[in-house]
Amino acid sequence: MSTTATRPRKLALDPRRAGMGRTLATAIVTLVMLGPILVVFWLALRPRLYTDITGPTLETFVYIFAETDILLWLKNSAMVSTLATIISVIVAAPAGYVLSRGRGGAVSAYSLFIFVLQSFPVVVFVIPLFIMFASVGLVDSLSGVAIIYVASSVAVACWMMSAYFDTIPVTLEEAAWIDGCSVFGGFVRIVLRNSLPGVLSTAIYAFLLAWNDYLVALVFLRSDDRFTLPIGLQTFFQQNQTDWGPVMACAVVMLTPPVLIFALLNRFFSIGGIGGALAGK
Amino acid sequence: MTGLALPAIVLMVVVNAYPVIYAGIQAVHDGDLLGLGNFVGFANFQDALTDPLFWRSARFTVIFSLCGVFGSWIIGFALALMLKPDFAGKNLFKILLLLPWIVPIVVSSMSWNWLTATPGSLLPMLAADLGFGRVMFLADPTMAMITVCIFKIWISYPFMMMMMSAALEGIEPNINEAARVDGANARQRLRYIVLPMTARSTYISWILMAMFSVNDFATIYLLTGGGPVNSTTSLIVLAYRSVFQDFRPGFGVAISFLMTAALVTMSVILLRQMRKANMQ
Repeated sequence: MSTTATRPRKLALDPRRAGMGRTLATAIVTLVMLGPILVVFWLALRPRLYTDITGPTLETFVYIFAETDILLWLKNSAMVSTLATIISVIVAAPAGYVLSRGRGGAVSAYSLFIFVLQSFPVVVFVIPLFIMFASVGLVDSLSGVAIIYVASSVAVACWMMSAYFDTIPVTLEEAAWIDGCSVFGGFVRIVLRNSLPGVLSTAIYAFLLAWNDYLVALVFLRSDDRFTLPIGLQTFFQQNQTDWGPVMACAVVMLTPPVLIFALLNRFFSIGGIGGALAGK
Repeated sequence: MTGLALPAIVLMVVVNAYPVIYAGIQAVHDGDLLGLGNFVGFANFQDALTDPLFWRSARFTVIFSLCGVFGSWIIGFALALMLKPDFAGKNLFKILLLLPWIVPIVVSSMSWNWLTATPGSLLPMLAADLGFGRVMFLADPTMAMITVCIFKIWISYPFMMMMMSAALEGIEPNINEAARVDGANARQRLRYIVLPMTARSTYISWILMAMFSVNDFATIYLLTGGGPVNSTTSLIVLAYRSVFQDFRPGFGVAISFLMTAALVTMSVILLRQMRKANMQ
């Protein structure tokens, strides 16, 4: 590159060569860190036990789509996670706005309320919710599970939205208010319209939490046809402990959607700001 | 304006606060999963505090959380420092290094299970080649504790990397440059500039990670189930088992409450000290 030649040199070391060294070192570290994930792909290419195939094969994928309920689990997981993500953003965005702009005792109390609730483990919520949901037919239901995912992501979602709103100057809304805009109108038309990265960030967080959860699905989903991927995969794993090929093929199917979503949207994702929302006031 | 928080408040009261209160009532009763049973006062708490398994689990919870917090912070911070300057492929590595946090825990626990517990796989063979003989990574109590802690660090370092990367971006490049010109070496710049200027994010990420670690059920349960012989049973796993395997919700909830009380007290003290120090 010709630009490197014109760059001012602060160090005696050639910056391009130093950069290459860093790239190489980072590549090695990354390879080690990703070892356990590469193993998943490597094992997924193993032929099933008791077949004549030797060497790497995609036959395991054909097998799992034909012989297991993985498409159903995939559909269930997609439905639950999408529903939880949408509700979580709709609920957390206005609440985050209050946390970001609001001052005074009520807002501090609200902030503390969120923090304390966030500290309780899901195990505490699960039994009372199970009893409560049983009386309204939400046990063994995908909507019921989605509601619990919203509940467990909403605290951090509020902090994330609040952290993003902190970066939007309050003068924008004030101008709108002077022009006769309501608080809600100002929030939707001015603040929210400029908060796409914040909204996407929160949505990614809520989606990952719902997609990756194990405990809630384990307790609430009882029938085979309601299983989401974590439960389906875990059941399949327990039945086929030694047959790693198909088990890991299912695992590849499960990890693909979150990895793809993250790869596409990562430039919007930022979690660093939540500290300010948590400890700011 | 506060009306905008209403949907979130209603949701949290119904799905978070109400269950906590109900669980609080369960904690002073001896019922099963369906009925409340009889009022027993603080008997469940007494049972918990006098149960040797409770204290063993508390000890492992502390070890597990300390590893989760500081182990992942050191690795995450080191990676954030490594990824700070511009170099070829930086953005790609930044995404790739976050993958352990994005890949579902059900999947990564299976791959760690294969890596550590299958006789023909990488780590047992490596250990044998290095002359350690047959290392039982998940079957030996002490090794299982170490394996679970390393697994936790591996899952959690990306979160720390994100937190610390964001904090590092907040440091004015001029300050570091000025220190360099004044002759501060890399270690001095880390000690006197980078660490103090990221202290606030560091403390907050410690508090959050302590919360995530103490409440982390899936990481332990999926890799070892709490075994062998309860060596990797943490308080949350013990609480889960008391509720869903021994059908003693009161006892399980009492354990969770004791755990949460300790957690909240610790976080509030840390947060208060942070504000007192008025960190950047």
